[in-house]
Amino acid sequence: MSDYANPDVLVSTEWVAEHLSDTQHVRIVESNEDLLLYSTGHVPGAVHIDWVNDLQDDTVRDYIGRDEFARLCSERGIADDTTVVFYGDKNNWWACYAFWTFKLFGHADCRIMNGGRDKWIAEDRSLTKTVPHYPSTDYEPQDPDLSIRAFRDEVLKHMKKGGAMVDVRSPQEYIGELMHIPGYPDEGALRGGHIPGAANVPWSRAAAEDGTFKSREELEAIYLDEQGLDAKEDTIAYCRIGERSSHTWFVLKYLLGFKDVKNYDGSWTEWGNLVGVPIEKGEREDG
Amino acid sequence: MNEKLQEAVENFQMLDPQLRLEMLLDYANALPPLPERLHAQRDAGLGRVVECQSPVYLFTSVDDGTVRLFADVPEQAPTVRGFVSLLVDALDGAPPAEVAAVPDDLLRQLGIAQTLGMTRQRGLGAVLHRIKHAVAEAA
Repeated sequence: MSDYANPDVLVSTEWVAEHLSDTQHVRIVESNEDLLLYSTGHVPGAVHIDWVNDLQDDTVRDYIGRDEFARLCSERGIADDTTVVFYGDKNNWWACYAFWTFKLFGHADCRIMNGGRDKWIAEDRSLTKTVPHYPSTDYEPQDPDLSIRAFRDEVLKHMKKGGAMVDVRSPQEYIGELMHIPGYPDEGALRGGHIPGAANVPWSRAAAEDGTFKSREELEAIYLDEQGLDAKEDTIAYCRIGERSSHTWFVLKYLLGFKDVKNYDGSWTEWGNLVGVPIEKGEREDG
Repeated sequence: MNEKLQEAVENFQMLDPQLRLEMLLDYANALPPLPERLHAQRDAGLGRVVECQSPVYLFTSVDDGTVRLFADVPEQAPTVRGFVSLLVDALDGAPPAEVAAVPDDLLRQLGIAQTLGMTRQRGLGAVLHRIKHAVAEAA
């Protein structure tokens, strides 16, 4: 892991196992795609944070406010200086989403357990169904860090000046044919395609067989050599609702050291429905 | 609505949202294993519900006016496994008309739609849609 640009944000399953009793300084957080998975067994001492019920406010299609976030942390026994380690199902897909959301709310020390839930289980480490309770904390709400979140007007400007973008959905979603295949999932958008100029790198290409992140060398071969992205350029990642792209955001920012990378959480369900903005179908046109 | 499904809906509605999830988990644990004769089809990728993030397989047929419904859902996806199990429990052995009559807003009637959120509802909705579609085709 030491080759990565910011190796400290990744911890191993061994590290987590060694820190299970350090509940004073470390909080392990499980975040999954599946709502019930935590209840079937989780890392001992880990708390559950659900992206739908805990982090989102569907009445405004936004994240919870800073005070709700502070309350959420307080209830989970997370203080401002707690080291929060995220892990979850599906190659840490949702763990990265929770990580991004915590960063958005300005939480300082966030980490990802490399390999996630699957690796922990594959190594035959212990699981429990016991839900822990920690003393509540005085969590100080912070203003959101909007330097990691892109909004639609900003994405439009970025597109017009030819800025770098990564669409992390499947190739079928990217070229816009998925919506036309009967029985396939629709994107929740009226149009199929991608934001003009965006490269297509499905998010899961960053993950190795065992669910850990690929090595820096392998990641550079994909994002830099193959796709021509540049760590010095402002880059925006997006997908359908911003969850898969938070995985790629994590890879670009922390593992490859991109200076300025944002996650566009409005993603295709917003862009594909916007009046008056262009889309591109098929393969990328600007090469 | 068929009697078993009606009963399930009533049972869910009596509970608070947290207990509804626990009941769904009980269903997940009770899903019968996929019969061995369907393993080859599953392994060939047939019956896959592509809308679900996890590998979910459904096999529906109508034999002599009776619906047969079998499924394979990984234990690592207990939410969809629970919902599929509930449908298998209520619809396997039912007449096709009862499948056609399952309300499309079943998740809402069970009182779990809001807790799931839109994206998860999409996957589960597709499960129900596919079962209804397959039964309508076969009947």
